[in-house]
Amino acid sequence: MAETRPPRPELVCPAGTPAALKSAVDAGADCVYVGFRDETNARNFPGLNFSRKELGEGVAFAHERGAKVLVAINTFPRAGEPALWRQAVDDAAKAKADAVILADIGLIEYAHRTHPELRLHLSVQAAASNPDAIRFYAERFGVRRVVLPRVLTVQEIAALNPKIAPVETEVFVFGGLCVMAEGRCALSSYVTGQSPNMNGVCSPAGDVRYTETPQGITSELSGFTINKFAHNEPAGYPTLCKGRFLANDKASYLFEEPTSLNTLSMLPDLIKAGVTAFKIEGRQRGRAYVAAVVQAFRQGVDAVMAGRPLPDIDLDRITEGGKQTTGAYEKAWR
Amino acid sequence: MRQGQTRTGAKPVTPPFSPVLLLGMALQPVRPALLQPLFDAMLRVIRRRHPDILERMADYSDKAVCIDPVDLPFVILLEPNPDAPALTVRRAVDPAEVAATIHGPLEMLIALAEGKVDGDALFFSRRLVIEGDTEVVVALRNAIDGAGIDLIEDISAELGPLARPFRSAAGAAIGLMGRMRDDFETLRNALIAPAVKDVHSQDSRITQLETELKQLRKAARRGGAA
Repeated sequence: MAETRPPRPELVCPAGTPAALKSAVDAGADCVYVGFRDETNARNFPGLNFSRKELGEGVAFAHERGAKVLVAINTFPRAGEPALWRQAVDDAAKAKADAVILADIGLIEYAHRTHPELRLHLSVQAAASNPDAIRFYAERFGVRRVVLPRVLTVQEIAALNPKIAPVETEVFVFGGLCVMAEGRCALSSYVTGQSPNMNGVCSPAGDVRYTETPQGITSELSGFTINKFAHNEPAGYPTLCKGRFLANDKASYLFEEPTSLNTLSMLPDLIKAGVTAFKIEGRQRGRAYVAAVVQAFRQGVDAVMAGRPLPDIDLDRITEGGKQTTGAYEKAWR
Repeated sequence: MRQGQTRTGAKPVTPPFSPVLLLGMALQPVRPALLQPLFDAMLRVIRRRHPDILERMADYSDKAVCIDPVDLPFVILLEPNPDAPALTVRRAVDPAEVAATIHGPLEMLIALAEGKVDGDALFFSRRLVIEGDTEVVVALRNAIDGAGIDLIEDISAELGPLARPFRSAAGAAIGLMGRMRDDFETLRNALIAPAVKDVHSQDSRITQLETELKQLRKAARRGGAA
């Protein structure tokens, strides 16, 4: 029997501003994901995100060019105060967004009940990584796609896909990495009182200080030294998970090193594994990053689908710490 | 580095050997006040063409930011108050006056404003240094990146019938700058070539010594002669 060709996966690209949305669409994004300018999304950064008017204009711009817009409403509402999050769902539906990306089970129930026509995607923040959990969201609330936590190998993803069909899977292919406890990480909250889960911000910029010294640069979070980089040593984000700790007179990374996920070389395997959508992390990054990464992955996906060899594209210059990893997809540390 | 520009006194970014550095030297005797009309005009263009920048900065209206093009003998003081924004060129700024300072070479700062380079990537590679209130810098970066600034297009749009000659002149200037940059790079490489050769030779020697040291340590652990 002839081997069936896997469908062409969607490229889901980040946009923190309307200009970045345009860059993403122009660079070949199939979908762009965005957030509102408040704590309903996990990139609630100063000066970032979309007003309601900007979302409407962004959706129109994308739709005219055949691209979709997904709205991330992926933080967890404060107990007893769901109004802001529900309003975000209502406004996304009103703006004709193609889907909302949700994490909180109560908000998912609200969206399913109030906007039955609205396509629901399960955020990585919900951390659903096994067939039972995913099937529950699909059967109970009609969730159509799950963004998989960055804990699974390609083989595990390939085994999962047939078990949850017709639910689609979306996986991260490039960008910043979190410790493998998405939606449950309390490191930022422990140090700053604010977390990506509740406030939409990890290690808020207001708590970060950089100090230049003759030895290099020191990054601090709420007064705690997170890292010291020597001159010419590539720097990373000032998050506690990427802190360099001193033990037995040796400085080393405890949770993870400053490094970016890059799976360009693994695209054929991920496509073969039946993944529906490839997600690029980085709504907080500039439009130069968006354009460069989207173009690279557009070329990569198109090459694989056309049976051509993968292009050799160097993305080192935009990676955190100047380093790249294939992360859990290969689990090379095992 | 001019006094009073940094919070620590440490030199944050070494200016690259470029045509801008030469321009900066030539501009040393020029009084900042002579350049102020240029920055006033620039602010008018920004307010007209990109009002969203100040809107995104609304929460930081009282936070002044010092932009320090490290290859020029001036700094730029940005006050983002939406009702009375100001872009002032100064010889130096007292750190106490500003919430934060951004240091970087001029060409890189322009590329950043135009969204041609990624701010995080510049920070990771240490070509951009920020000091002070990180939040206001992140807000400013996002506001400017989101505005979709294109300096030549923005200025052209304000020039009416002069737009076309301006575009031609700007294109020619960019071309000339590119050629000069290449020439400077060649010159720089020629100047530092002997030093680079010495460093490479020292590198090889250090690697060799490290290998020997490792072997000696291994031998010592095994109780052999070391």
